[in-house]
Amino acid sequence: MREPSDRDLVRRARRGDREAAAALFRRYWRDAWRAAFAITGRRSLADDVAADGFERAFAALGRFDERRPFGPWLHRIVANRALDVLRAERRVSDEELPDTPDLAPVHASGDRSLLASVAELSLERRVVVVLRYGVGMTPKQIAEALDLPVGTVNSRLARSLEQLRESLEVEHVE
Amino acid sequence: MSSELERRLEGLLAVLPEPDAGAGEEALHRALRALHPAAPARRGLRAAVLMFAATAVLLGIAAGSLAAAGALHVHFGAAKPKPIVARTLQLPSGTAGIAAVVNGRLSVVTKGGFRLQGLPVSAASLSPHALFVAAGIGHSLVAMAPDGHRAWSHPTRGTVVAIAWAPFGNRIAYIVRAPGRLVLRVIWGNGKNDEVIAREVRAVRPSWRADSLAFAYVGAGGKAIVYDLGHRSRSVIAVRAPVTGVAFAPTGDSIAVEQLDGIWVLHQSAAEKIPGHVDAFGWLNGRLADVVPGQNFVLVRLFAPSGASRGSYRQQGVAVTVTPKLVVVRKGRNLVAGRTTLLTVPRGATVRSLEIG
Repeated sequence: MREPSDRDLVRRARRGDREAAAALFRRYWRDAWRAAFAITGRRSLADDVAADGFERAFAALGRFDERRPFGPWLHRIVANRALDVLRAERRVSDEELPDTPDLAPVHASGDRSLLASVAELSLERRVVVVLRYGVGMTPKQIAEALDLPVGTVNSRLARSLEQLRESLEVEHVE
Repeated sequence: MSSELERRLEGLLAVLPEPDAGAGEEALHRALRALHPAAPARRGLRAAVLMFAATAVLLGIAAGSLAAAGALHVHFGAAKPKPIVARTLQLPSGTAGIAAVVNGRLSVVTKGGFRLQGLPVSAASLSPHALFVAAGIGHSLVAMAPDGHRAWSHPTRGTVVAIAWAPFGNRIAYIVRAPGRLVLRVIWGNGKNDEVIAREVRAVRPSWRADSLAFAYVGAGGKAIVYDLGHRSRSVIAVRAPVTGVAFAPTGDSIAVEQLDGIWVLHQSAAEKIPGHVDAFGWLNGRLADVVPGQNFVLVRLFAPSGASRGSYRQQGVAVTVTPKLVVVRKGRNLVAGRTTLLTVPRGATVRSLEIG
């Protein structure tokens, strides 16, 4: 039997169909959580951020324009929530907070030099890199998600790649 | 065209870790609670309804010592404030006030009438007899008289996400967001002697035992834990994680522990599970009440502390909070009109409509 489309599930969920809502959740939870993790770099924060994102998305499902894809809309909520949480942390603490994610332990066997370089990107750049290469969103979708001009997204992506290249080159020299 | 670096990035981010199953279950539970059926209405009206839903009107109803007299108007978002219209309420006796956090704004009602309105807070809890309200304001825990006069303020260095004032008023348990985790702390009712109880917990409101000597909370692993202040000891409640809510009975030491698929009632060494996904639960006039969601109604079920059924009733509505004296229902049609209805039990007699927005 064919899987119901996102649009079908959204329609049913808007009418209060919990099964449809749960199906929608299961379809997107993993991606939403991984996006949250990639932005925040911490499991506990990713749990909170992704859960908050879904909670907000479901509460606002009636406002969602069914003609648009659900995934990017959800990712927008999750990404913005992650940014809010990280920015709030920076405001809260008197100490130097871990602005960069602690991703290395979970990537012991991965591309560690690249990972370290990604972790060194500023929050704003890291988010667009994660959404582009981790979640697979287009620059236009990212622009919609973060409420930025497409040009700004492209520019941040380009600068991020440039920074990453430089960082990796330095590493090779060393 | 994809560069080598971009391919490496895609490969890198493709091996991000997987979420824990427990976190997913808990998140699903929370998300389903936030789901509200849209009223079959015009687009503008529907938008208004979901604006209302998004603000999660009742999520912040302070579940402490609630019930009330007075009048309460709660305003949303950018809506222009409406003048306060005091009304006389016919509410259960033996109650002193209501504290409601709506869309991040606190309203307090006491027997003397409407008090605070629209104060931005992150969480709130009334003291016994509604003499004070403790609220998270900015990065502080603040105790105020219901008229807003500050009794004391304690810096928390983070947002307070949950507060529970002990029944005797002598202590306050609260959870504050620290970088990367949530910390459980207890402070005396006079704002002194703040201490850390647990360095990592879940964002579940603690619940005090009736004697104010112990309280329950949910640890980082999702287990329900009772912390005994007298003995400085903690005991884990033998209920499978993740626990999503805890509620001590207002008398005795019975406790209800919510899981994703039901509620355990622990009473005098016996444990009884009440199955079902619920929107809300709590102790209501000495009975355990849970609220099972339906399409356009809720089923309020009542149980004795032993877990024995004590009847149920249906009520039109879409979301509920259970307080010691009231069940709060957000009604579908009234939702469109921007109203929330407070109900007493038994049998769902309407007590009060709150005008919202």
